[in-house]
Amino acid sequence: MSAIRTENLIKKFRRVAALNGLNLDVPEGAVYALVGPNGAGKTTAIKILMNIFGPTSGRAEVLGVESARIAGRAFRSIGYVSENQELPEWMRVGALLEYLRPFYPSWDRALVDELMSQFDLPRDRKLGNLSRGMRMKAALASALAYHPKLIVLDEPFTGLDPLVRDELIQGLLERAEESTILVSSHDLAEIESFASHVGYLEQGRLRFSEELAQLVERFREVQVTFDGPSRLPEKAPEGWMQLNNSAAVVRFIESRFEPQRTRAEIHGVFGEVRDVTFSPMTLREIFLAMAKTGRNAA
Amino acid sequence: MKQVLNIFKKDVRHYWREIVVSIALLAAFARYDVRSWANEGLVGYAYEAGSFFFDSRLLSGLVDVLLPISWAFVIVRVIQGESLVGDRQFWVTRPYEWKKLLAAKILFILVFINLPLLITDVFLLATAGFSPTHYVVGLLWMQAMIALGLLLIAALAAVTASVVQFGLALLVVVLYLIGMGFLSEQIPSSSFSSSIGDAVQTALLIATPLVVILLQYSRRKTAKSRLLIAGFAAVLLLILLATPYRTVVAHQYPRLEARQQPPVQLALLPPEKQNDGNVPANQKEVEVVIPFSVSGVAGDSIVTLSGAMVVIEAPGGLHWNSGWQSKGWSLFHEDKSIAIRFTLKKKLFERIQSQSVKAEISLALTVSRDQNRTEFVVPQGEFVLPDAGFCDVRGLSYEPDIECRSALRTPSSLLVTYDISQTSCPGVEGQARAKPGEISRSWHSHSDSGPAEFGISPIKTTRFGTVNNASNARAISGFCPGTPVILSNPELVRRTRIELELNDFHLGDYQDRSMRGSAWR
Repeated sequence: MSAIRTENLIKKFRRVAALNGLNLDVPEGAVYALVGPNGAGKTTAIKILMNIFGPTSGRAEVLGVESARIAGRAFRSIGYVSENQELPEWMRVGALLEYLRPFYPSWDRALVDELMSQFDLPRDRKLGNLSRGMRMKAALASALAYHPKLIVLDEPFTGLDPLVRDELIQGLLERAEESTILVSSHDLAEIESFASHVGYLEQGRLRFSEELAQLVERFREVQVTFDGPSRLPEKAPEGWMQLNNSAAVVRFIESRFEPQRTRAEIHGVFGEVRDVTFSPMTLREIFLAMAKTGRNAA
Repeated sequence: MKQVLNIFKKDVRHYWREIVVSIALLAAFARYDVRSWANEGLVGYAYEAGSFFFDSRLLSGLVDVLLPISWAFVIVRVIQGESLVGDRQFWVTRPYEWKKLLAAKILFILVFINLPLLITDVFLLATAGFSPTHYVVGLLWMQAMIALGLLLIAALAAVTASVVQFGLALLVVVLYLIGMGFLSEQIPSSSFSSSIGDAVQTALLIATPLVVILLQYSRRKTAKSRLLIAGFAAVLLLILLATPYRTVVAHQYPRLEARQQPPVQLALLPPEKQNDGNVPANQKEVEVVIPFSVSGVAGDSIVTLSGAMVVIEAPGGLHWNSGWQSKGWSLFHEDKSIAIRFTLKKKLFERIQSQSVKAEISLALTVSRDQNRTEFVVPQGEFVLPDAGFCDVRGLSYEPDIECRSALRTPSSLLVTYDISQTSCPGVEGQARAKPGEISRSWHSHSDSGPAEFGISPIKTTRFGTVNNASNARAISGFCPGTPVILSNPELVRRTRIELELNDFHLGDYQDRSMRGSAWR
């Protein structure tokens, strides 16, 4: 069952295509990280999902409802927090939460108190007088307080100090069991710590989408050491990226790593070698390699 | 309802300053309005340190301007509190139901603009001596007309993201209206036949902002909404450009049939002064005055020259048409002459002034019957005139006027006639009395038949002034206690059109050397 599904979603702003046939599938219960460089189309995709604006073509469903119909009561099950959302800055934090309470039948006052305490939020401070991090925490508290089925976060960690990031992530993870979370980010370090699924968006297209564990498992940095001078193969197997060599060493990134098969392919390409090492890669290293290669690794 | 009240309470908390300012201005408006018809006169406030005096009329004028501005500001602020423009608004991803959001905004406007205004109107009516319960329909009608004005502001607020953006949009609207006004002046006859397309324009004026507001609240389609407003402006422009004005005037003022007696007889008079034919170099236009003798106006008739059009045909195929021009010159049975003025470009005038031309003058006439004539002696102090409300004598020590305050509407048609020689005003030392039979009239009429006239105040004032028509312009005149007058209620009988043909007409003979501004008299 999918919490979010898009089919061939296209969004054009005049002649510029921000989304170019996006097919996204976020399983229920997942913590889905939508990553990609700036301008990849992450915010556009999320705004379409939230019906902030409509697609040029294609369709999107959120919690079984067509995104164009998401309005009013539908937002009782959705918590949305964005880095560029304009909050009512004249309101005090406590007043904002009190104001929002009647909108949500499932509003949990005890949870609000818990979040206020956890995020160290001052009730009597105006939102406009809060730091960016505190504002994000207030927005997140107001989006978590009613146990939404789906939490959508658009670049929530941008510009925040590590301590606030950790607090936000901690707050999210505590809610992860009851909700599906879609979070967009171009900062991969924190995503890696809590995402269950990851999708890589580039130039309005999803390059791949899979469970994070599988992704990390199938990427390896490979170093092949020769007895003599190294040489690059004329034709590399599918999945090998960024091949380079220096002296007696050839390095590349394997995007379809399976120990036995990869070893067999290396022997097939290079023949006898002195040594082969496989190093696990961080999410950041994987995406850097992807971005540099610019090829479809899916 | 819970959500409506929740949003409403939030708005009250946020915009209380705007509310206070708007209500304070309304209170100031009520105070000045009462003073304007209670004849408290000028009140000066002196600053001890200087010699500045503030005329209460100046402050009153300022309040008259600031009050609608404060309403507009309140509406813009409260609507843009949940902005309908953009993609960053906090509220669009919250469970706001658009109908409830709209209801909350309407409730806010009703509570903090319409209700205070209604209370003020009731207060003003009661203070002016009228029973508000007799004017419920009229009061609601006034509220509806005010609401229409607020609707236009609300529609602009709904398609703009900030007060500054709203201000710019308003500026565009003002420039558009100025442009339309200018264009209207350039299109012959358009200013006279103002009723053309009125029904369509009114319908569009109500429908467009309503649709824009509903579209914005239900779907936030700002581009479409703005396009709709632009489309509305384009339709108005199209109506202005495409209306067959002359046909409509011809329909409104049908030509007198051969068997019908004309309501007035006009005959060309010789020019007043000999003209030298020269046009001053600095003049770009030349005014021509054609005097006519007047006769044949029945004793119980009033013939109003509502509009006129002059067509000139000169040798060589030259054809010039002034288009229909508005006027409002009433002729009574004792009137002996009337002058019709029109302007020509200097170049054209110089070309044809000495030629023998053919001039066709079409006159749109409104004929009224003077009825319900009642003799009345102006009493001391305040008195009641039917349809005009409470009246008294006001003005300077010479030539005082009658000023009346009425509820919601000025009199639809009230004519005050008096013999200047019978004025009871004392005049000043050495001032002579007019000859008996020299008549002065003051007629107030309007065609609006609604239960109330547009305006913020329900108290409408009408001044019946005296025009000294006496042969001795310095003779004693004016309404004073004891002056006998005749009150009557002229009623529209018909509209008609007569055409005068002047052959062998020399424009140069009728050139007006004084060039006194207005094209028609």
